[in-house]
Parts: sequence; C-alpha cells; structure tokens
Amino acid sequence: MTTTIEGSMEMTTQVETKRLRTLDEQYHLEARDINVWFKERHVLSDVSLKFPTNSVTALIGPSGCGKSSFIRTLNRMHELIPGAGLAGEIYLDGKNIYDADIDPVSVRLKIGMVFQKPNPFPTMTIKGNVLAGLRLSNRRTRDENELVEKCLTRASIWNEVKDRLDAPAGSLSGGQQQRLCIARSLALAPDVLLMDEPCSALDPGSTRRIEETIRELSSDMTVVIVTHNMQQAQRVSDQTAFFLAEENQPGYVVEFGNTEALFSSPNDPRTEDYVNGRFG
Amino acid sequence: MSKTQSRIDLKSYKPKDADRVFFGGASLAAALSLLLVLMIVAFLLNGSWTTFQQQGLKFVTGSIWDSASETPTFQIFPMLYGSFLISALGLVIAVPVSIATAYFIQFMAKGIFAKVAISIIDLLAALPSILIAMWGLLVLTPVATGWSELLTKHLGFIPIFANDEPNAFRSPFIAGFVVAIMVIPIITSVTREVMSRVDKELIAAAFALGGTSFSSLRRVVIPTARSGILGGILLGLGRALGETIAIYYVLNLLFETNFYSILEPRGGSIASLIISRFGEATPVELRALMAAGVVLFVFTLIVNMLATAIVQRSEKRMAS
Amino acid sequence: MTQIAVRPTNATPWKNRNRKNVALIAIASVAPSLIAVIVRFLLELPGAVTLLLIFLPLQLLFSALAALILRGKRGIADAFLNVGVIFSTVAISILLGSVLFSVISWGLKALSPHFLYQNSVYITPTTSLEYGGVGHAILGSLIVVGLVTLATVPIGIGVAVYLTETDGRFRGPVRFFSQAMSGLPSVVAGLFIYTVFIASGLVKPVGWLGAASLLLLMLPTIARMSEEVLKLVPGELRAAALALGAPRRRAFFQVILPAAKTGLITAVLLGLARVFGETAPLILTTNISNETNINPTSDGMTTLTTYIYSFLGAGYDTSRQRAWGAALVLLVVIGILFTLARIFGSREVGKK
Repeated sequence: MTTTIEGSMEMTTQVETKRLRTLDEQYHLEARDINVWFKERHVLSDVSLKFPTNSVTALIGPSGCGKSSFIRTLNRMHELIPGAGLAGEIYLDGKNIYDADIDPVSVRLKIGMVFQKPNPFPTMTIKGNVLAGLRLSNRRTRDENELVEKCLTRASIWNEVKDRLDAPAGSLSGGQQQRLCIARSLALAPDVLLMDEPCSALDPGSTRRIEETIRELSSDMTVVIVTHNMQQAQRVSDQTAFFLAEENQPGYVVEFGNTEALFSSPNDPRTEDYVNGRFG
Repeated sequence: MSKTQSRIDLKSYKPKDADRVFFGGASLAAALSLLLVLMIVAFLLNGSWTTFQQQGLKFVTGSIWDSASETPTFQIFPMLYGSFLISALGLVIAVPVSIATAYFIQFMAKGIFAKVAISIIDLLAALPSILIAMWGLLVLTPVATGWSELLTKHLGFIPIFANDEPNAFRSPFIAGFVVAIMVIPIITSVTREVMSRVDKELIAAAFALGGTSFSSLRRVVIPTARSGILGGILLGLGRALGETIAIYYVLNLLFETNFYSILEPRGGSIASLIISRFGEATPVELRALMAAGVVLFVFTLIVNMLATAIVQRSEKRMAS
Repeated sequence: MTQIAVRPTNATPWKNRNRKNVALIAIASVAPSLIAVIVRFLLELPGAVTLLLIFLPLQLLFSALAALILRGKRGIADAFLNVGVIFSTVAISILLGSVLFSVISWGLKALSPHFLYQNSVYITPTTSLEYGGVGHAILGSLIVVGLVTLATVPIGIGVAVYLTETDGRFRGPVRFFSQAMSGLPSVVAGLFIYTVFIASGLVKPVGWLGAASLLLLMLPTIARMSEEVLKLVPGELRAAALALGAPRRRAFFQVILPAAKTGLITAVLLGLARVFGETAPLILTTNISNETNINPTSDGMTTLTTYIYSFLGAGYDTSRQRAWGAALVLLVVIGILFTLARIFGSREVGKK
C-alpha cells in the first residue's frame, strides 16, 4: 500500500519537474515577478529574469535601485534581513526555492555568494576558510587537501598562498582575500555563483584577475554579478539587466538582453543615457 | 548650551599662565590620586608585613586561625579556597546561561523587546549586592534548601552531593547560586555587547555558505567573540571573588576547608572573614585580616588585569 | 512606470508552512509541557525536578524530532540550540524577575509616607510598621554619597584630563594605578579606612569616614569612565580648535568639554549608582544610628544599605519588612540614577 502511494507521488513530482524543464530548457535559474519590501517600503517591482545555464549575467544600474536586494532573493539571504518582505517565485531546476518544504540551507549550498567587501573569517586560516563551508554545513570530503588546492586554483590564488595555507586569512591583501572568498564558495560545488559588486573595494589589477576567474568559472556554473562598472559588465557578461529606480519609487528592470546588444544599441533611451555615462 | 560656552571666560588670565593653571590642575589631580594609591599600598603592605613575616608561606597554605593563644596563628587557606570554590560554582551556573541569554537578546529577540531587555540587564548589573543578599536569604534559601535535600537524597552517593550535616542551609552551593545571580547580568551584558560587534557580513557569509544557526554560532560568532566573552567572564570572577555582603548572609563560615561537599552548611570566603571578624579582632588579628585582604586584592588584581588585557586585545583585533 | 504596491500580508514566503509542518510544530511545542504537567501530578514531583528532568529532555527530544522531519539532520543542532537558549533565558528571567518582584512587592507593603521621612528613634526590631522609617537613612545616604561625589568628581575628571589632554610624564603609572584600584574589593577599602582611622584610635566611626572608604572605590571608576569618554571626542575637533590658535585650556573648556559633557554626566551617574549600593565598607567605617544626624563629622550615620543590614540581621518579621521597605527605596534611587544615565548616555559623544 504505502509503496504504491509513495511511488505514485514520486511520479507526479517527476512529471511536474519534467514539464517545467521542457518549458525553460536552458534556464535552470529563473526569477518570476519578484517584488521586495523592507518593512512597508516597496523597493523592487515585478522583476522577471531568466539565467541560462553556464552564462554570466550582469545586473547594472545606479545605487539604490534594488540590484543587491534582488540578488539576495536568489539564494534566500534576503529573508535574514529584519523587516524583509518578498512576493514572487524563484525557480531552481524547476522547483520554487520558496516552497514550504524547502530548507533555505539546501538552497544556499547550491547557490553560492560572494560579498561586496572581502569577508574571510578572521579566526580561521586560509585553508580553514576554504573548508569553512564544509564545516558550517557539517559535511565531509574524502581529501581535504585536494579540495583546497582545486578551489584555490580555480580562484587563481593557489600559487600565491600554497606555501602559507596555515597563515591567518587576515594576512592576505584585499584582492587576495576576495579571491579566497570565491574559493570558499567553490568548495561547496555550487551550480550558481552570486557576486554582489565583488570588485568595488579592489584595485584595477585585482579586478582584472577576478574578471578572468569569472570567465573561467562560467564554463560550468551560472554566474550572476552586480556591478557599477559598465566596462566590467561588458567584459564579463553574456547578458545584462539594467535596473532603475525613480525617487521614492521601487526599482524595476528597464531593459534586459544580450550584453553586446544592450550596450551598442539599447532600446530604451534611459538605458542609452546610463550606459553612456550621462547619469548614475 | 552655547550660552554655557560663552560664559566660560578666561580672558582675564594671561594665556600662558592660564594654560599653566589648567595643566597644573589636571596634574594636581593626577598627583593626588597617585599619592592616594601609593599610600594605600604602603599602608596595606606595612600593616600586613608582620603577619606575612611571622606566618610565612603557611599564611596562605595553612588552615589554623587562632587569635587566643599567646603566639597566635593566622592561616587563611580555608577562606581562600572557599572564595574560589564559591566563585567557581557561581561561574559554572552563570556562564552557560549568560551566553545563552546574550545569544537570545542579540540574535533572537526583535526590536523594542531587545532594547528593553538590554536596559534591564544593564540595570540588574548595577543592582546593589545587599538586595541580592536579602533575596538570597529570604527567598532563595528556603527553595534551594529543598533542591539540596533532593540532591542528597537521590544523588548522595556522588561525593559532591553528600551531606552528613543535619541541615542544608547556608552552604557553598547556595552562596554560589547567589553569586551566579549577581554575575549573570554582568557576563550577559558583556557577552551581548561583544556578540553585537561581530561583523554582520561574517555572519551573513556563514549563512551563505550553508551554515545553520548553530554552526554559524559555533564556527564563526563564538570564535570571533571568544576573547571578549572570556574578558566578561573574568570581570564576573573579579566581582565574585570580592563579594562580601551577599555571601556573608547565606554562608555558614567555618574555619575548616570544605573541599567539595558543596551542599553541607560550612564554607569560607575571605571577604566574609573580614566583615565577621573585624569588630572583635585584637590588633594582631586585625593585621592578619589586612594581610588576608591584601591576598584577596592580589587575586582580584590579577583577574581584572587579565580581563582588561584580553578585552583590549579583542577590541583591537575586531577593529582591524 | 512602476507603481508602489502595498505590501501584502503574506510577503514572507519563508514563514509559509504546509499543513504537515504546522501540525508537527504544534505537537512539538505543546506535547512536552502537557506530558510534564501530567507526570508531575501523577508522581507528585517537585517543580524544579519536573522542569529539569521531565520537561527539558522531552522538549529537546520533540523539537529535535520535528526538526529532523522538517529540515533533515542539519535541523537537530538548531533545535537543541533554540530549546536550550529559550529555556535558559526564561529561567534567568524568572530568577532575576523574582529578585525585582520580591523587593517591589514586599517593599510596597512596608512603604508609607511616614516610612520615608521618620527616623528610627525608639524603634526596636519588633516595633510595628506604623512607627518609624528610613528618613534618617535616606538623609545619611545623601550626605555620604554627596561628600564622595564632591571629592571624586573634580579629582576623577582631573585625572582623566591629565591622561587625555596633557603629555605629562606620569600618564603610564597613573593609568596603571587607576586601573588597578578599580579592582579593589570594597571590603578591603573599608578595612583600610577602619585600620588607619578607627582601630588606631584617631577617630570614632563617623559619616565622613564612610565617604572616605567609598572614595577609594568611586575615584578609579570615575577616572576610567571619564577617560573613555574624553578619548571618544574626535581628534579632529581637538586639532581644529588648536589650529585656530586657541590655547589648550580654551580648547578644552569651549570645545572638548561641551562635546563630552553628556558622557561625563553618565560616568558620574553610574559611579553614583555604584556607591549608593555599597554596604560592606560602611559597616566597617560608620556606626548605625537610629537618630537623624546631618553632621558627618560626629556620631553615627545610617545609610540605606546599613539600615537594611541592621534590620535584616535582627531577624524578626517586622524588622525584615523594614529592610524590604528600605530595599525598595534603594532600588528606586538606583533606577532613577540608571534611567538618567541612559538618557544622557544615549546622546552621542561629540554632538550636543
């Protein structure tokens, strides 16, 4: 009896998933009609974006237009802010990550995040920082050293730190710290990596190296990056979304599309003004 | 407020002289306080010196207090040990619940409720010890005696819960509990403060890496706040060691070392010894009490200095 | 283009629960208390035992199971954390609440207008509460604390100024000693004054000796807190005043002091709260008296704390009630000082 019921339930979910998969075949991450509030303040209105698998999407726009809030809804970090409110759905592999039976931790394990300010854990070593995700989510790996080397290599910082893996993370420079934070996220083997202005606190040299890293990562993961720097958006991204917020109005997406097209021949005059540096 | 400013008019002084008066005043205050401290140290050492000389190292390791005989003996080990036993009991009770309460206020309580809780905890940290002494004597003792009897009845085979005396009033356990009530607000207040200064971005990073509340607390918040929390615990220890009046009311002062029978009505504490003996003390005994006070001061000094150093170091690290 | 949408009531999808989750959470939060209550009455267990040995383990178990079903293995530690933290916090609130509640409820029974202004002449520990009060003790506390304040505030702030505003040679030792002295156990301060002035036969126990012993405790407190406050005044403010050609003392009185004023007041108020509640040093240095005495240089002088000490020690019901009454007065005084400190302290240093 029980087996039959379970079996049939399994089948229905499979069917549902399959249907959604065929609908959005190459998009494994999708945001639908996202609205964001802080207390009663409406800060983001009806944002719907699709993120193709293994693509890089840049979110651009002036400060305070809700880009950072939006990116935080993608891995359920938004709900940790007191007073946060949300309407809309985020689909990851065809399943709404805000469903009642989804544990936010499992979402965050699949969708990693790199913050604006480099924030390695100061009490841990370089190696400890890379392994922090495993420790925090209480998981093990067969060969820690191998994982550490792999992640640091992918974040292109291995050569600089391989001789001092047991040094405190605080001893690194700002750019190195940010790459360590990328390596830290990679250790959990996420499908998606969110980056919230990862280069805003860094010098041009470090910025370039992180941009190279992003290009390399996109070979097997989906990257969403918030940036203020339009050259950066053009250099790293496949598609771009331009966010805008008028005074005391919620932010919204003005234009979304292929990066090259959006920068060379924008459809909306406001996009044109912004990408040509006329405001913002 | 601008009026207050303009009323201060020092134009009548020649600038150079006036500055000299200003610096002179500050220096005078500093000199006075330094003089006061040196006087205290000199008097305390002078007063207790003969005791240290006559009693030798036995003053802190021996267990006889006899002022009646012709060559009186003064040794404070039972009292010194008692001070530490009671403080340790207090901390064993206080530390876990203080950290838990601090966590609750900082991470679980919301908005106005958290603000009120912080104010109340800070007020309780400033509560006079005589009020806690009264509560300990009149409210806690009857209840805690019942707990003690139960512990002895069911767990009496464990040495620390055994009690061969006819009653369970005025035991080190009850004194330790009172001390715990006194230091809980202090440790909670410091711990919460330190936890609130842990960079929010670090906690966010912990959650973004798949952390749960528990693993983020264990792997990130506690390690980052560790030295500050330790400083708060030491601050509480300093207060517990020096506490007089609350322990005096709820402890049966006996001059024999009670090593571990925490439910038996006998114990010691240097501060209680001083307050209970000074009135009828002979001049020689008074000097011995002073020496006991010096020993206590040395210990609280070490604990406080350690606390300050640790807190300062952690502040520096968090700032960088 | 976009419209502000009113926040819908269900704008927190992470709080949404399906029926299974709601049922689980309801069971986990209610069942342990129910079982504990039933067991308690069946076995006639004492309350503390029920709480610690029946309720707490059950609650841990149920919450952990619910978390296991809802969130998988990783939920268990969080469940333990939440139960442990809430249990501890509630226990602490009850214990600390009991301290405040005892003082307030017993104190109110003793309180009456005459209790606040009459003294205790002809009052024995068994005299009924219709007569006598703490008037003399309130006065005594005010006099003793007033004397301490008069002496410590100028010296303490002077020391702080010396440490922050000058480049005097002895800043190191002064700071070190004022830090060291702030750890002086109060009973040792009392014993020091007792030995030097009373046991030596120089002076009989009088009010100013009590003040002297409290001075040893309050001076380092005021000096340290004032130093912290003055250090918080932004360095640019100081530099700007000096750059305008103001002499050091003018820079101090017209720029730094106004900026630090509220902080200094907070420091003094917190220092006051501490000495108001001190008992041990006053037992050593003053005589308890039943009469009103406003002269700190002769005869006994009772303060609120020594009043409590003497009537609590007497051990009769009526005397204890008097002690509770005095305790409530003391609590109110501390509460007022503390609230004032909060009000001043909430204003930021450097702003007016």
